[in-house]
Order: sequence, then structure tokens, then C-alpha cells
Amino acid sequence: MTLPDLDPVIHAQARLRVVATLNALPEGDQIAFPGLKDLLAMTAGNLSVHLTKLEDAGYVEITKTHKGRTPVTYVALTRRGRLAFEEYTVAIRALLGGEA
Amino acid sequence: MDEEDLSPAEMMRLIEEQAAAATRRLQPDPLFLYAPWGLAWLVGFAAFFLSYGLDGHPIAPISWQLALAILMGAQLLAGAFLFWSARASSVQIRGETAQRGMMYGYAWFVGMLSMGLILSHFTPMLPRDQIGLLYASVSLLVVSILYMAGGAVWREWPMFFLGVWTAAVNAAGATLGPGWHALLISLLVGGAFFVAGIVLRRRR
Repeated sequence: MTLPDLDPVIHAQARLRVVATLNALPEGDQIAFPGLKDLLAMTAGNLSVHLTKLEDAGYVEITKTHKGRTPVTYVALTRRGRLAFEEYTVAIRALLGGEA
Repeated sequence: MDEEDLSPAEMMRLIEEQAAAATRRLQPDPLFLYAPWGLAWLVGFAAFFLSYGLDGHPIAPISWQLALAILMGAQLLAGAFLFWSARASSVQIRGETAQRGMMYGYAWFVGMLSMGLILSHFTPMLPRDQIGLLYASVSLLVVSILYMAGGAVWREWPMFFLGVWTAAVNAAGATLGPGWHALLISLLVGGAFFVAGIVLRRRR
């Protein structure tokens, strides 16, 4: 059976987990980097690498700002990222339906 | 890396588990949201009921000052508990949800403060035995409206229905007098919030 083209940016366990988590945020919300790191139980370095890849693909928006004097980084899925995740889920569901 | 070798079923399970875990962390725990208030009203209004009695004769030697102190203390504890649980599980979010939460929080503050100012104006004109009922029923009216509004803001039907239930019991109780009002609020509203917290937590 031939696989449909699964988005290679999302089709990696770690990034899929990142995107699935960000997708749980309502649209219009951003999550601070430490919170996201805790939710995913990833190291900061590891998460940064994946976020950069997702940002390069236009799936994730990263906002660097300051709260008082401390720098804070906020992360959110872009509209494009949300769409890509939706399409990925649909493709996986189609595969599962094909298996059954 | 062999992670590309996951089957579609495993990928789907990964998505579902991660989404569920994120939702659990991002949404407030219904047990902490409802049960502490339920318990506070259960205890606080039971104290008022014992102090008023149903026919104007106190059931237990509890002054209204003591009943008020019990209710306020219990509510303060519930508030502190909610604040603590929100902090402990807090993931820093900014954006629309945070703005809704902030406006909703201010709505409680402004609503209760303005209610207090209005009622204090009428207090001296009322017979003593009606003052407590006025404060209790109007503050529960504000509570019920804010729960209904909160249900609308977050599209949470249980929250909305708790507001409707509170409004109905409160209105019915107020027409029956102070003792009945306290008894009905304690059992039916306090009890409903307590049970809702436990049931909603289990269904999560």
C-alpha cells in the first residue's frame, strides 16, 4: 500500500508532539517557552532545535519579549501550522481507515 | 533515528495522548474550580441555617456574626485554594484566553464591590432579620449571573447550568425567608458545586 505524502516537518515524533501540544492552545494564545518545555518534558536545547525547524517551515511563530527585565519567549502555532497539523491528522486517519 | 518507523496507529495515539495531556494542563482542574466553593457554601450557609432556624427560633446557639465569620472564612479558604492550585499548575499563557480571564476576574471584583455599596445604603432601612437575607440573596444573584456569563465566555455548559441552578434556588429560597434560603443554598447549591467538581474531574 502506498503512503500518502505525510508532511516531513511534522512526521517526526518530537515535532509531532510539539505541534499537537501547540494545537491544544486556542487560536490567539501564546505559550511561554518554559511552560511548553514542561508540558513536553523536553530539554530546552532539544525543544529549541525543533521549534527552529517548525519556524523555518512557517508553522510556528516565536515572539521574544520582556517581562520587566527578564526576557520571555512566547510560542504559538501559525494558521499555516494549524492547517498542516489538521491535514496530517486527516492523512493518518485515512491510512488507519485503509488498514481496517 | 528510527522514529520515522512508527505506524500510523502509533502516530495517531501519540497525537491523542499529547493533545489530552496538554488540555489537562492548560484547562483548570474542575475539582479545584467548583468543589472548594461548594464546600464553603455547604458549611457557611449551614451555619446560617442553624443560626436562623426555619420558624425564627435558632436551632443551635450560633450568632449571625459567628455564622458570617464561618462563611467568610470558608470562602477565603476556597479562594486561597483556587489561587494556590492555579499557581501550582500554571503554564504561562498570553493572548485572548488570558484577557478573557482578566476581564472575568475584574467582573467579580467590580460586581461584588458595587453590590456591597448599594446594599449598605439600604441596610439601615431594613428590619434586622432581613438584612442577612438581602446580602446573601443579592450576592448569590451576582454569583449566578457571573457563572452563567462564564459559561458563555468559555462555552462551558456545566458552568452555565450551575449558574442557572444557583439563580433558581436563590430566588426560590429568598421568597421563603432567611432560614429556608440558608438551608436550600447550603444543600442544593453548595452540594451541587461540590458534586459537580467531583463528577467533572472524573469525566475528564
